[in-house]
Amino acid sequence: MNTNTKPILVIGGGIAGITAALEAAEVGYNVILVEKEAYLGGRVLRMYRYFPKMCPPTCGFEINIRRIRQNPRITIHTLATVDEISGNTGNFKAKIQIKPRYVTANHSLDDSMTESLVSERANDFNYGMNNSKALYMPHDMAYPSAYVLDREALSDTDAAILLETCPPGSIDLDMSEKEIEVEVGAVIVATGWQPYDVKNLDNLGSGLYPNVITNVMMERLAASGGPTAGEIIRPSDGKKVENVAFVQCAGSRDDKHLPYCSAVCCMGSLKHIRYIREKNENAKITVFYIDIRTVGSEEKFYFDLLEDENVSFVKGKVAAISEESDSKNLILDVEDTISHENLHQGFDMVVLATGMVPVTADFKLPVDLKYDEYGFIDGTTEVNGVYAAGCAKHPCDVSTTTKDSTSAALKAIQCISRGD
Amino acid sequence: MQDTAEVKAQESPQINPVPSKNGKPVLIEPDLDFIQLLSKSGGDLFKKCMQCGTCSATCAISPDSNPFPRKEMAWAAWGMKDRLLSDPDVWLCYQCNDCSTRCPRGAKPGDLLAAVRQESVIHYAFPRFLGRWVSQPQSLLLLLGIPMALLALALYLKDPIENALGLSRPMGDGIIYSYTSMYPHWLLNSFFMIICFLALIIVIVGVGRFWQGLKKADIQNGIGSPSNGLFSSIWVTLKDVITHKNFTECTKTRSRYLTHMCVFFGFIALAVVSFWTVTARITPIIQSDFIYPFSFWSPWKLLANAGGLALIVGLMWMIWERVKEQDDAPVSSYFDWTLIGTLLLVTLTGFITELLHYIRLEPHRHLAYFAHLVFACSLLMYLPYSKFAHLVYRTTAMVYSEYTGRNGNKPNKPGITEDNHEEAKDNAE
Repeated sequence: MNTNTKPILVIGGGIAGITAALEAAEVGYNVILVEKEAYLGGRVLRMYRYFPKMCPPTCGFEINIRRIRQNPRITIHTLATVDEISGNTGNFKAKIQIKPRYVTANHSLDDSMTESLVSERANDFNYGMNNSKALYMPHDMAYPSAYVLDREALSDTDAAILLETCPPGSIDLDMSEKEIEVEVGAVIVATGWQPYDVKNLDNLGSGLYPNVITNVMMERLAASGGPTAGEIIRPSDGKKVENVAFVQCAGSRDDKHLPYCSAVCCMGSLKHIRYIREKNENAKITVFYIDIRTVGSEEKFYFDLLEDENVSFVKGKVAAISEESDSKNLILDVEDTISHENLHQGFDMVVLATGMVPVTADFKLPVDLKYDEYGFIDGTTEVNGVYAAGCAKHPCDVSTTTKDSTSAALKAIQCISRGD
Repeated sequence: MQDTAEVKAQESPQINPVPSKNGKPVLIEPDLDFIQLLSKSGGDLFKKCMQCGTCSATCAISPDSNPFPRKEMAWAAWGMKDRLLSDPDVWLCYQCNDCSTRCPRGAKPGDLLAAVRQESVIHYAFPRFLGRWVSQPQSLLLLLGIPMALLALALYLKDPIENALGLSRPMGDGIIYSYTSMYPHWLLNSFFMIICFLALIIVIVGVGRFWQGLKKADIQNGIGSPSNGLFSSIWVTLKDVITHKNFTECTKTRSRYLTHMCVFFGFIALAVVSFWTVTARITPIIQSDFIYPFSFWSPWKLLANAGGLALIVGLMWMIWERVKEQDDAPVSSYFDWTLIGTLLLVTLTGFITELLHYIRLEPHRHLAYFAHLVFACSLLMYLPYSKFAHLVYRTTAMVYSEYTGRNGNKPNKPGITEDNHEEAKDNAE
């Protein structure tokens, strides 16, 4: 057995990072897990259901959290980013910057203490579809299960109220950012993805029409912890949606936006159709697509929907969306390339299937990594000792991500075991 | 595993996009040479097309049924020469370039349609080899040599013919400075009348073949029985052409509307004055007081100068629009440049000739005049083979579309306008 007991640094606490951390820790290696949000779970935890089994991600998340709790080898830093990595294979030094939470672990808080607050912030867990108080629990399943204070959103009057209502010592408004330095043997980069910014899609409304939402917002609209408590209703007037369009490849496979296919949006929309069919019984759904990309056993997930009379598939990329100013309904301009007709069809609500952008597209890690032209970490040219996992490497679904994370964990373990 | 969405959607009645006989598909034989020709004449990106239909849905002037240009992109990729050459839709496009700008693959459908239009002109031209020559740079000198030789020959034969016919030429101080001393009116008029007459015959042959091609294609595909009268279709089309109606429907490129307006009406003005000048002497009512050359303040001269200026302004502006750096700008081919270039040279040498006439600078003015005649002659004699022929083919395609009712099938779509986009922004704020 090796004598190098240096831990593995995992950057990113989403499904990729959690999986890699657990795999390594459960075979006896120490892990430092760094997450920039206040909670673990990343993008996946914001999903309502997984495809193709349609089970909720919270279920698997609970299991993972139990594994983390039971394992003393995992150290977690939330609200933390890695600012510097130096050294080389087997002997890295990393500087971790930890933002203040302003809430101490000394006393427990509850919602009654936030009720009197006026200060609110856009709830980014729900993609800004609703607001939360400035002192908030990120979501029902949050781990660590601790409140966070958005210092910028908190007004001075509210700060005074908080100090009064909360148990003394539970809120520390003077908490400051701190930096720690750790020595690690290997690094796993699991920084994940973000949805493509619809502001760039001027032909599809630039995100300005309230009833044009994105696929990630659809997940929150269906989720019981979401802004509508799981009711699929229109953002503009709260009307139950009856006629929904899905715009596939919204900005994907497009030279001017994301030239690549994100691989999961087709299955994502097919999953959303099931949400709507389940919750809004009579809703009609139309999917506008270039190709439906469901591979292998996923084909069945698609073919089953072809039987559904309420669901129609139109082969054609939506060229433009316009809004009727009174009704806030949307009109889609698209050519049905099979019947050879230009359609100008109206809908209550439109869901844009936007693609995945690697977080590393705008933000480069402080370590010498090769990126492809879109910002994904090039998996074929890994620096020895630094391994990427999941959507940091390529767009992929959850099951691919977890397999990829296991393999990244194995590579990190090998790196440490070899002592190189 | 065959039951895909395509199969489901095909249950609706539709027009078959591929040639068929008695409902059975027939073998498509791709014309690979034609694909090469299209690639060469500026449409070489069309193979990037993934048939998503963004172009058709974006186009502001495409009809809702069987819209263009997605189907043309498929036909081009498949080398379906016959379908493309007998497709009126390629002529309904004004290359506003909205489709090319929106194309997610950079396949530039606008450029492909322009390339098809060029190949159509060559295809319907008689004789066809002249069409090919006009479209390729290596024939330029040869093509310019022909009008030069013809005009030189006319100059050489002037005296023998005049002597033979017993025409006397007035010789006096005032006349020496006249261009008629070089090319007398009878010679110039008859020379250009012959050229115009030949061009007209060739144009009529080309348009006739084109019309037949359009009809044959529609019969083969089981569509296109006339729904409007021919004469009313011609009337409607002429109104659209004169008002440049379709140019105004392009959402982005207002400059194209204005430049084409300048060039179009500038040319019409000059054509009217030329026609008047040639025919005035044989028009009985005005024969007595017709004086040539016109004085500077003569209404005809004023109209001609105004037309010439409009042409120069329009052409320079067109050139500027084409050379300035733009993303997704349409490709300007040799075919485009030769028309713009010839028109510009005709107009410029015309003005130089006029100027030198007032300055009376010898012998430069006669050289300029000769050059002017060479370019004017090239413009007219190569009309049926050059981009100039769009004048007749586009008009014919528009008449045909009106005649078959295809034009009545225009979209009535709100689309994204600047206004409702701004409104949405305001609402969002």
